[in-house]
Amino acid sequence: MERIKSYYQDFNVFANEDHWDDHTREIVRKRLEPTGSLQKLTGEQVDMLRNIASLLLDDGRSSLLDWVIKHIDNKLQSDIGEAQRKVGVPPFATLLKGGLYALNELAQGENGSPFTALTPEQQTSLLVALENNTVTLTAEDGQPIPPKDFFNNLLSEVVSAHYSHPQVWSEIGYAGPAYPRGYVRLEVGLSDPWEARMSKEGPER
Amino acid sequence: MSQDPIQHNICHYDGHRYDDLDHRKYATDADVVIVGAGTAGGIIAYELARSGLKVVVIEAGPFWNPQSDFASDELAMATLGWQDTRLTDGQNPLRMGHNNSGRGIGGGSAHWTGVCLRFHESDFEMRSRDGIGEDWPISYADLEPYYRYIEKQIGVSGPKHFPWGSFQGPYPMPERDPISANSEVFRIGCERLGLKSVVTPLAINSAPFDGRPPCTNRGFCNQGCMPNAKYSGLVHHVPKAIEAGAEFLTDCMVTQIELDEKGRAKSVIFNYKGVEYRQRGRVIVLASFVVETPRLLLASAQNGHPDGLCNSSGTVGRYIMPHSSHDVYGRFEHEIRLYKGTPVMATTQEFYETRHDRGFLRGYTLHAHGSRPVAMAKGLAVQAGVWGRRLRDAMVHYNHYGRITLVGEVLPDAANRVTLSDERDEYGLPVPKVTFSYGDNDRKLIDHAVHMMKEILTAAGGTPEFVVPDTAHLSGGARMGDDPETSVVNHHCQTHDIPNLFICSAAVFVTSGGGNPTHTVMALAARTADTIQDLLKRQDL
Repeated sequence: MERIKSYYQDFNVFANEDHWDDHTREIVRKRLEPTGSLQKLTGEQVDMLRNIASLLLDDGRSSLLDWVIKHIDNKLQSDIGEAQRKVGVPPFATLLKGGLYALNELAQGENGSPFTALTPEQQTSLLVALENNTVTLTAEDGQPIPPKDFFNNLLSEVVSAHYSHPQVWSEIGYAGPAYPRGYVRLEVGLSDPWEARMSKEGPER
Repeated sequence: MSQDPIQHNICHYDGHRYDDLDHRKYATDADVVIVGAGTAGGIIAYELARSGLKVVVIEAGPFWNPQSDFASDELAMATLGWQDTRLTDGQNPLRMGHNNSGRGIGGGSAHWTGVCLRFHESDFEMRSRDGIGEDWPISYADLEPYYRYIEKQIGVSGPKHFPWGSFQGPYPMPERDPISANSEVFRIGCERLGLKSVVTPLAINSAPFDGRPPCTNRGFCNQGCMPNAKYSGLVHHVPKAIEAGAEFLTDCMVTQIELDEKGRAKSVIFNYKGVEYRQRGRVIVLASFVVETPRLLLASAQNGHPDGLCNSSGTVGRYIMPHSSHDVYGRFEHEIRLYKGTPVMATTQEFYETRHDRGFLRGYTLHAHGSRPVAMAKGLAVQAGVWGRRLRDAMVHYNHYGRITLVGEVLPDAANRVTLSDERDEYGLPVPKVTFSYGDNDRKLIDHAVHMMKEILTAAGGTPEFVVPDTAHLSGGARMGDDPETSVVNHHCQTHDIPNLFICSAAVFVTSGGGNPTHTVMALAARTADTIQDLLKRQDL
């Protein structure tokens, strides 16, 4: 996979996987598997989500977006609760699907094209409008969708998935799982031999 | 018997290995039934079981095995929080789940950071000293022996000298050494500003203790400790309670408290895989934290108790308090690597007590606080509005950020409360609604703390960049008091309305304190166990 320019050009977190416990290795490895067929998301929703996620993350690399989409689809299949949901906000599945539908309608209304056909600048300005609660969203069945909650819930899932990907861990120099061996050198200026080493070239910006 | 004392499921008792709930150890003759196997429930179970009482603990979540259920992964381990949906409301709707609750054996202690601080004397005397809020019906002196007892029992590590509050140290076990880079820069920043700081008192082993190894600085305290170096009910009190004869029923959700004709608590109803069972007990203890305790009491409304049990005062569910818990991130020229080591290893309580030159009452604790990428990125994105290019730029410099976190007192307010909503969950119980808004004093305290956190980072050589608003912990909802008109339990954690029904968890807190609450929960639990034992001996229950 194409690698972003960071402090840690040579670090691959997976080079240490022999030192991880089995459970952790199994969990992290799954994130690299091909997406396979999705259970809950339609092709149209997936296209929109890929566009949105690449803007939220400022990262359009395909294999990373694959995992983000898989994570959202997994979440839609899960019957585990949402921990919290604000009064007046529909459950996650309704919020997500209703929000995507309404966002596409909004794109049609404002720009005359479906969301995925807009330029990244146009897409971003619609996302900012969601974030600022300055638009009205209505799901296909007429249910109101609170824009900021739609935006924040989506942002939360997209960001959680992206920063759980081992490729991203490598790039930011996060050595991650360390059981059973742990970390020995903790203090300022010290690191264990197997951790990421800063290279001479810095990040791209 | 297996070598591993920590086993899955309900069938882990020598001679009592059944995989159904019709065969139970004390189905009809339990002395004490405890709802919730978290921090408080585990301690009460252990203390009462070893005194010879027949104890049953009923826990909604699973019996975790750290080796096979825990992982070094943030996303996967969100399951350690109580993820059932709660509705949130108010001006500052709370983040629930992993942020402030636990599910499964150990409860919140399975994913806490191990910070083990005593409350100060002033925490129990807010009304007397500051003229606001309420006093506790007990004083620091009432809890002191129990703080000391717990510290010794679980081997708390900490400094030789602790410069704030009544307890000046030393702690039973030596302080942690080395400390993380993030904790080092925090201490340097404090030192340059003339602020005292310490290596944090932690319920995490600094040396082998009680058959458990010292910490390996893996850093995943909040994802569940895998080497068992961190104290949790799961690895300490629960296995000991089982050895002493207590029975733990897991994946069992208590849905109702039943009363006898005299109005005393008789039994609880619980649901296991869709089937309802009844568990009787002479004494029932709710150790089910701040949301589920009021919820169960309110949902148990019945003849003679139209507003729920123990609610003659109308205070059930009221006066809930999180801590304000803003994070400030500062960027450093050199690497910090926030992922390494126990997350909290340095602390200051220089701002703990009320001062009259700050414009607000009460105070706060500051901690150096590590973070892993998901927590950092999600906090920046969702709570601080940093996404797109700004988020990516920040996260590329992940290893160059230090972080300080606030644990700030939030004043009690009757309007901050747990109520029942119209929605129903899988058990047919009303989904709880949690309403919270900060008050004026709370906001002023936060502003002061955010300013100080920036000062410390700057003094340490960093550049403060992001403030992430957040809360942590939760207390209240069934508060203690001498007056049955304004409180739910008395100074023994015994409910005013039903003498054989006790509540013991952070739910009974009268004020939130300006520091982490768990040590006070543990001391209250040990004290409540003593009370129950005494009252049962005297046939007073």
